[in-house]
Amino acid sequence: MFNTKTNENLVGVFDNEDTLINAIKNIKKSSYKIKNVFTPYPIHEVFHELHMDSRLPYLAFVYAATGTVSVFSFIYWASAVNYPISVGGKPSLSITYIICMFVLTILSGVVLSTATFFGIQKLFPGKTPAIIHEGITNDKFVIVIEKQSGMSEGVVAEINKLFISNGAIETGFKNNIEDI
Amino acid sequence: MYDAKIRGELVEGNKSYADISRDIMEPIETAAPSWWLPAMFVSLCMLAFGVWAGYTTVTTGIGAWGLNNTQGWGWDIINFVWWIGIGHAGTAFSIFLLILRQKWRTSINRAAEAMTVVAVCCAGLFPLIHMGRPWMAFFVFPYPNTRGPLWVNFNSPLFWDVIAISTYLTASATFWYIGMIPDFATIRDQTTSPIKKKIYGILSFGWVGSARGWLRYEALSGILGGLSAPLVISVHSIVSMDFATSVIPGWHTTIFPPYFVVGAIFSGFGMVLTLMIFIRKFYRFEQYVTNGHIDAIARILVFISLIMGTAYATEVFIAWYSGSEYEFYTFFKNRITGDHMIGFWGMVICNAIIPQLFWLEKVRKNLAVVFIISLFINLGMWFERFTIIVTSLSKDYLPSNWSDYSPTIVEIGIFVGTLGLFTFALLLFFKYVPMIAISEVKGILKGTKLTKAKDV
Repeated sequence: MFNTKTNENLVGVFDNEDTLINAIKNIKKSSYKIKNVFTPYPIHEVFHELHMDSRLPYLAFVYAATGTVSVFSFIYWASAVNYPISVGGKPSLSITYIICMFVLTILSGVVLSTATFFGIQKLFPGKTPAIIHEGITNDKFVIVIEKQSGMSEGVVAEINKLFISNGAIETGFKNNIEDI
Repeated sequence: MYDAKIRGELVEGNKSYADISRDIMEPIETAAPSWWLPAMFVSLCMLAFGVWAGYTTVTTGIGAWGLNNTQGWGWDIINFVWWIGIGHAGTAFSIFLLILRQKWRTSINRAAEAMTVVAVCCAGLFPLIHMGRPWMAFFVFPYPNTRGPLWVNFNSPLFWDVIAISTYLTASATFWYIGMIPDFATIRDQTTSPIKKKIYGILSFGWVGSARGWLRYEALSGILGGLSAPLVISVHSIVSMDFATSVIPGWHTTIFPPYFVVGAIFSGFGMVLTLMIFIRKFYRFEQYVTNGHIDAIARILVFISLIMGTAYATEVFIAWYSGSEYEFYTFFKNRITGDHMIGFWGMVICNAIIPQLFWLEKVRKNLAVVFIISLFINLGMWFERFTIIVTSLSKDYLPSNWSDYSPTIVEIGIFVGTLGLFTFALLLFFKYVPMIAISEVKGILKGTKLTKAKDV
């Protein structure tokens, strides 16, 4: 289920959002591919620079629409097919179904979207993550470049130099970092 | 765009990102303040009173309450609606202000969401215990059963209430928890205590703040916000239909859904104000919950108060203009005058008149006065629910049926118990959960500062 493949990575640690964005732009111009970026809070410019987009909203629409259809089908089946009750001659198929459909559409959208988020992001209680730097959830910003097999020491030194020249306060190695 | 030069700084004190983490984590990392344990003791005593009252209700029956054939609803539904109203603050704050891209929400949303979740739980206890046999509560859900199967009435506002409130609780709790995951990760990485590291590690679900994670996180927040915003409107509209779809004078009105929704947001914001002034003062969060935040809430409250005043006036006007003698009686002889006039005038004064003081800048800047006004709003909203329920039920179409209502010690006990539960849960929240959303405050820091964020 989870990717257990080992990998080696070079990390550059930054202490400022602007420096990080600038570094991402400059690294993109070089021949090295950014593997991942870690930040203490969401930065839209990072998403933009890394050309990332999420399809979660489309899924949410599908989930909510599924909820609408299922709830309508169930209420219709229960009230009109399985056990129809005549209340003052009112029709079994009623406009008031809309209220249940409306509320449960929201419920299915919320629950399934959240479950999808946890699933695709592989988040679960008790997961032991690979902590790249103890400051990534506090005040540090990290850019990761994967150390490809066969990468010479010279190239590694060049990448580290690239980090430093773009304002990194620290560089290092870290194993098993997830891909973007 | 937010302009700090015009609107003021949202986080004062030229904080760095590390300062923000440290400040917000301080109540978790340090010993509880001296008042915390005594407050916990008081809340547990109140809760114990509530447990006794609940036990008495279940073992004796609903006869232990002051209800009768005429007055079928009393403190149970008054307090249910009151708590649900308070529970509207979290979503109103977090979600409306999130959708409207209001950056000042970040210092307040976490506490407002916590309050929402606890208030909705308190609210849910009332219909549950009013069933008399709460262990049969699952009967209200449509499940395959051996009685036909006989399904619930999908056209009943009482059933709509069940699903609306369950959905609201699920959505609010999910939104609250999702928001806390990055902050739990911050505590996991920053705390020095191995036990806390372990516990917050489990709670953080292994969050590390990767770019893709943040992208999906933001997308999910938008989805939850977008889906839950209509829920704020629908929940209290549905609660109002418990009343409005009946034929009781004073209830059978089309103004009820919007009137209830606005009232709920009003009471929610009132309680948020009470809570934030408390947190700000006792946890020294003045640099995060600034005077500007309090000012913004007060401005919203004065506007909503005007809507409340208009709604009250409209109800009274229509009672006269409709020509219905029953409506006229209810409003003019049983609310404005009569046995329950204290409740009616308490409602008008607390909700429509006193908050008008917020027009004055001097009042908005005086936190003691703001705090007192926020308490009046909470009280006024309780009076509103009392007035609606008791005046309409006590004297309806048939004078021989008229009856008065006063709560018994058991009903009072259940209400006090929910107040105890609310206080107990909030005290735990103060101690064990970051009261301000750490990552969200960091996210707005750069754009809302007068000076550049200092380097760490």
